[in-house]
Amino acid sequence: MSSKKVRGNPNLRRGVGSKTTDSDKIMEDPPAGDWLALRSDQLLEWIDNSVYNVAEFTGMREVVDRITRPIFNFAQRLSPHPLHFGIMCCAIEMGQASAPDHDIDRLGLVYRSSPRQCDVLIVNGPVCEKLRPKLKTLYEQMPEPKWVIAMGECAISGGPYWDSYSVVAGADTFMPVDVYIPGCPVRPEALMHGFLTLQKKIRAKEPGMFLRR
Amino acid sequence: MNIDEFMQQLSSSKGVSNISKIRKNTVKLDLTKEESLDFFVSIKSEFEHCSLISAIDNQPDFELVYHFSCMNQSIVVDDSNCAVMLEAHIYLKREAPSVDSIANIWFGADWHEREAFDLMGIYFIGHPDLRRVLLPEGFAGHPLRKDYVYEIHEEEW
Repeated sequence: MSSKKVRGNPNLRRGVGSKTTDSDKIMEDPPAGDWLALRSDQLLEWIDNSVYNVAEFTGMREVVDRITRPIFNFAQRLSPHPLHFGIMCCAIEMGQASAPDHDIDRLGLVYRSSPRQCDVLIVNGPVCEKLRPKLKTLYEQMPEPKWVIAMGECAISGGPYWDSYSVVAGADTFMPVDVYIPGCPVRPEALMHGFLTLQKKIRAKEPGMFLRR
Repeated sequence: MNIDEFMQQLSSSKGVSNISKIRKNTVKLDLTKEESLDFFVSIKSEFEHCSLISAIDNQPDFELVYHFSCMNQSIVVDDSNCAVMLEAHIYLKREAPSVDSIANIWFGADWHEREAFDLMGIYFIGHPDLRRVLLPEGFAGHPLRKDYVYEIHEEEW
């Protein structure tokens, strides 16, 4: 083994002789490999990458994914928590769907009032220009994985207000929509069918959750 | 005071014309824009409620319709006890549609005036906070005007 072989971080060695100030060193890229010299957030990222790389290249990630995916998928599929958020008359149908006649709770739906606790955002009405940034904020506050259901004609395309001066022509112009439920207003049975469709989609499309990138 | 005596009293005040009784309990009159504020101050003691302010685009001119209600029985209709309403019309030129604000007399008129400003573009002079109320800030134009042209946000299908 040659004594000249460079060990450690080549970036650090290159930085020794150069005329960099302290403020430059703070803002420069993290030194590759030498984890003792890292800032705390860079250290977390380094650990993250290392664990991911080890799991990826040894094949462990795939193995763990195959084992845990049915479990996670089962849990996500059978308990979608929608946000309790109503815009217009489709919200009445949403309430009727959870009433005793069409007991939608048996599909595992629990309406939550905070977007931090939700998986599904139901857009049930026309989104006007003043509401759009708020709805976008609600969508971004929801944790991953999340799905969006466009309920009714207004959320799909703007509906009867499609050429209005203040109504956005469809929720999919500013957020990704998974399931479209037509109807004006949507009947509770149609909403239930929409959630069953979402379950099928989660079962078919959702990848494993272990160390997901 | 009976409603007929009240009409007699109104006909002597400045800026008022075309007084008529369109229903049993409703007086309709036309106002000029300049004397409107004095008139509204003078009727504040009887009419304690500003029911609504509507703006109409008659092309080319604008028309403002104020509805006031008297529910304290200071004006009565014969022997019934129904509330008396006053309907005041103000005609505005299209070039500079502005009128004195009554938001400091009836506080309920605040949002009515903001809505008329928002959708029809009528400026209320002396309003404490004349902002848009229904449309987002930065919206261009006043969409309920008849000559408002909106470029439809239509995608090519």
